[in-house]
Amino acid sequence: MAAPLPNRDFVTTIRDDGSRPFLFPADTRGRFTLARQVSALLLIGFYLSLPWIKIGGYPAVFLDVAERRFHLFGIILAAQDMWLLFFLITGLGFSLFFVTALLGRIWCGWACPHTVFLDHVFRRIERLIDGDAVSRRTLAAAPLSGEKMARRVLKHGLYLLVSATIAHLFLAYFVSLPAVWSMVSAAPVEHWSAFGFMTVFTGLLYFNFAWFREQLCIVICPYGRIQSALIDDNSLVIGYDTQRGEPRGKVHAAGAGLPAESSAKTGDCVACNRCVHVCPTGIDIRQGLQLECVGCTACIDACDEVMTRLHRPTGLIRYDSQAGFSGRITRWLRPRTVLYGILLLVGASVATWALSTVRPANFGVTRITGAPYIVSADFVRNQFFVRIVNKRNEPARFVLHLRRAPAGLQQNGLTAPIEVGPLGEIVQPLVLQQARRDYAGPFIFGVEVGSASGSFHLQRDVEFLGPDARLLREEENEQREHDHREPARH
Amino acid sequence: MNPAPNTPPPDDQLRPHEFDGIQEYDRRLPNWWLATFYGAIIFWAGYWFYYERAHLGPTNQARVEQQIAVIEAARLAAAPSVDDASLWKMSRNPVFVEAGRATFTTTCVSCHTEKLTGAIGPNLVDHLWIHGGRPTEIYNTVTNGVLAKGMPSWGPVLGPKKITEAVAYVLSYHQEGEPIEVQAAWVPPPPPK
Repeated sequence: MAAPLPNRDFVTTIRDDGSRPFLFPADTRGRFTLARQVSALLLIGFYLSLPWIKIGGYPAVFLDVAERRFHLFGIILAAQDMWLLFFLITGLGFSLFFVTALLGRIWCGWACPHTVFLDHVFRRIERLIDGDAVSRRTLAAAPLSGEKMARRVLKHGLYLLVSATIAHLFLAYFVSLPAVWSMVSAAPVEHWSAFGFMTVFTGLLYFNFAWFREQLCIVICPYGRIQSALIDDNSLVIGYDTQRGEPRGKVHAAGAGLPAESSAKTGDCVACNRCVHVCPTGIDIRQGLQLECVGCTACIDACDEVMTRLHRPTGLIRYDSQAGFSGRITRWLRPRTVLYGILLLVGASVATWALSTVRPANFGVTRITGAPYIVSADFVRNQFFVRIVNKRNEPARFVLHLRRAPAGLQQNGLTAPIEVGPLGEIVQPLVLQQARRDYAGPFIFGVEVGSASGSFHLQRDVEFLGPDARLLREEENEQREHDHREPARH
Repeated sequence: MNPAPNTPPPDDQLRPHEFDGIQEYDRRLPNWWLATFYGAIIFWAGYWFYYERAHLGPTNQARVEQQIAVIEAARLAAAPSVDDASLWKMSRNPVFVEAGRATFTTTCVSCHTEKLTGAIGPNLVDHLWIHGGRPTEIYNTVTNGVLAKGMPSWGPVLGPKKITEAVAYVLSYHQEGEPIEVQAAWVPPPPPK
């Protein structure tokens, strides 16, 4: 049973009985096809090479979940830096708003890993083994034979191989390549959870790319749905120029050089249906903007090829806005693009600033439980715990300095540089005391912890607590008078 | 072949509700979607039978308790026995004393000084003790602290093992049976003039 005819009332890839017609999109040639192939090659190279490239001794992207250390292009983030995720997520949100309002579903067609791997890896394998769209459809309908069996085994074997490769490199993002390699070399019994993850993930990828395909974009992907709410009449979409194309008409036998009255009667669309045959989501772009369209540009190249052959201008199907298709001028500068742009800029600036505050270590100063301060015969004393966290995978030496400390403040503890092991943390007492005669009341001072080499430092403001200085003086004076009077009585 | 732009299904397939002029057709859900739906129901039945009905799997509470028991057992195995005799014995053992010295150097020296002769905190090498000089008394003082005078309670910070080692290190400066005198309060050396 063939797929239903494309229409705007229901999804073409789901039949009345709920079954799914498998699509056999035809090949395209042209500038967009070529450009997408080149960009996909670069993107696949980028995705797959990240775990191999080392920056500062770590893979370029290494989300070390086990150690809770996240390496991003030389920046090391620890669990304590999780708050930066706020900027990552809002940043993604604002970029999404901005790009979609301006350029429509440019992400889906050009950069989404689903599209990139499907169109440029899995569909390529399918094309290589099963041939073009017509051969694929014939083969699918043919009864099982030795040849069909061989082709199916070869194709699905390659699918599984590629899925497993992607799954392994994906795991390498989280555990690094050497760990993946050592797990691959060892028996599955030694790491069931990783083996299970790998099997399930490979299976999911295989299912998705071998069969599920456009259903992911149409039914599951939330981004595809949100975009419907972000696009307006001035957003860039792929569409069909109804004014130029309609009414559709067959080309006369003469082909090019149509009589004037004939071209006046019919539009430029020759109803060849090439745009429908190449569509990977089974829609007819001439029916207008539809949620199934992932902006893959296949119909642009298909139509341009036909138009070129007929010596008619290309661009009957093209990138344009809804406004452009209805003969108006596309307004790029609109309240929503300006607003989204400003939000994106503000978000990006704050995120850059936030990221610049991240250091390879963290520290905190907390008051030791018990009395907030202690007044002894000669001193006012405050006691703190200093916790230093080393986020690096190698030992580091830290030094502690007091800043803006008043004269006479004595530091006990952490006076010498201290070494913290790889990914380790230490807690040490810092006891500060000030001689009574120098004491002038509570004050705020800075505690600075930096690397011994001086490559970075962090500072925290801490309050030195104590009694009011005048009360302390009065108490001292009373004590002195008392001391003076005592011997006099004898 | 030129499909009509719209091929509306029969009217009876249109659902009655309408929002902002948008109506929906009553279409069958995709079979693969129904498969996930019925699959989830079948999974639920099995899960419910396994955990709630037949009690074949452990409950979450039992699992938590089991994990806590493992942690507790490890802690008990690591916690040293604390009595005067064993603390004295540890103070003669170089392994314990060395481990205790490491803890003392990072944690205690800021008040008791590297030579244990005292500064902010009292002298630990003389025969004068404020809160008791028997090994278990020293151990308790370290664990619970003397908050009014600024000695923190180190129990939650260091744990029994490190405290035992640190006490063994202090005891290594003393001899079993030596005199213990009670001191009322520690008088720190005056500030440098």
